[in-house]
Amino acid sequence: MIELVASFLMFIGSVFVFSAALGLLRMPDPISRLQTGTKATTLGAGLILSGLAVLHPERAVQYVLIIAFVFISNPISSHALARAGLKTGRTEGDVPEGERPEERAQ
Amino acid sequence: MTGRTVHLGLSALALAGLAFAFSRLVGAHVEPTALGQLAAGYIRLSPEELSVPNVVTGILLAYRSFDTLGEVAVLYMVAASLGPLLQPMDNPVASETPRLSENAGEIIHSGHFALLPLIGVFGAYVILFGHLSAGGGFQGGAIIATGIEFYMIARVASAINVKAFSALESGVGVLFVAVGVFGLVFAGGFLDPRFLPAGELGHFVSGGAIPLVSLLLGIKVAAELSVVLERFRG
Repeated sequence: MIELVASFLMFIGSVFVFSAALGLLRMPDPISRLQTGTKATTLGAGLILSGLAVLHPERAVQYVLIIAFVFISNPISSHALARAGLKTGRTEGDVPEGERPEERAQ
Repeated sequence: MTGRTVHLGLSALALAGLAFAFSRLVGAHVEPTALGQLAAGYIRLSPEELSVPNVVTGILLAYRSFDTLGEVAVLYMVAASLGPLLQPMDNPVASETPRLSENAGEIIHSGHFALLPLIGVFGAYVILFGHLSAGGGFQGGAIIATGIEFYMIARVASAINVKAFSALESGVGVLFVAVGVFGLVFAGGFLDPRFLPAGELGHFVSGGAIPLVSLLLGIKVAAELSVVLERFRG
């Protein structure tokens, strides 16, 4: 039962991390890429580490510390990147015309 | 359209060539069933002779210490050569890049109070426990340098004293070589860590001079990488 719960948590976490990777490839501009990369990996890493904490309760404190670190550092680093992009005016999408997902679908 | 087809064809050809080259490699590979003689020797001798449970540290800081000295020298040359290389020439592109404001913003500024102590403690742990568990001077020094980079980002107006950092890492480098010479005089050879008592396997104070060398390496790598990062900041 414990293994099932842990596996479920880790599976959901890896789905989030996968969606982050997909977002990095498919999103049209840096700001969108940053938000998929940050939110989905923060939640994904949190879920994977929670799954590990359920699987190894004797090391739960360490996992909780790592989750706390990821939850603080991930948004801050993305914020710094986005802020630097905004200040230097580099938030335009770099995907060429005709290659964007919404255009490709037509 | 034809350009794209040619592109795809060339890519497929390159992939097929790579697949051919690697299939021969994979086909010839036989999974080794036992350790090689050298590897077995290292794994046996590292705890016995040096009383260092982490075999990788035993190799890096004792048996192949001279290589580590060379790596540090390479890093030193990178740090030294970046100064002249990144010297701003009359480059219009560089001067057009807008400078960030002097203020890094509230989130980053508050964040660096929360994260810098954590990064510093983790880096110190990785350096000091390199002979007992995964880690060592190089890795820990790199972690400390990320902390210093974070400090540079959070405090835009702060100036890293490049001269002091260079002096620190040169001094530590001299000490590193001095430890090597001590090994030459009092133990088996240059950079032999056994001139200090070996101590008990697994204890914090053990492994002869290996923790000392690890600490020196950590300080040196952190200072060198900080100088590199400061040079890129311009």
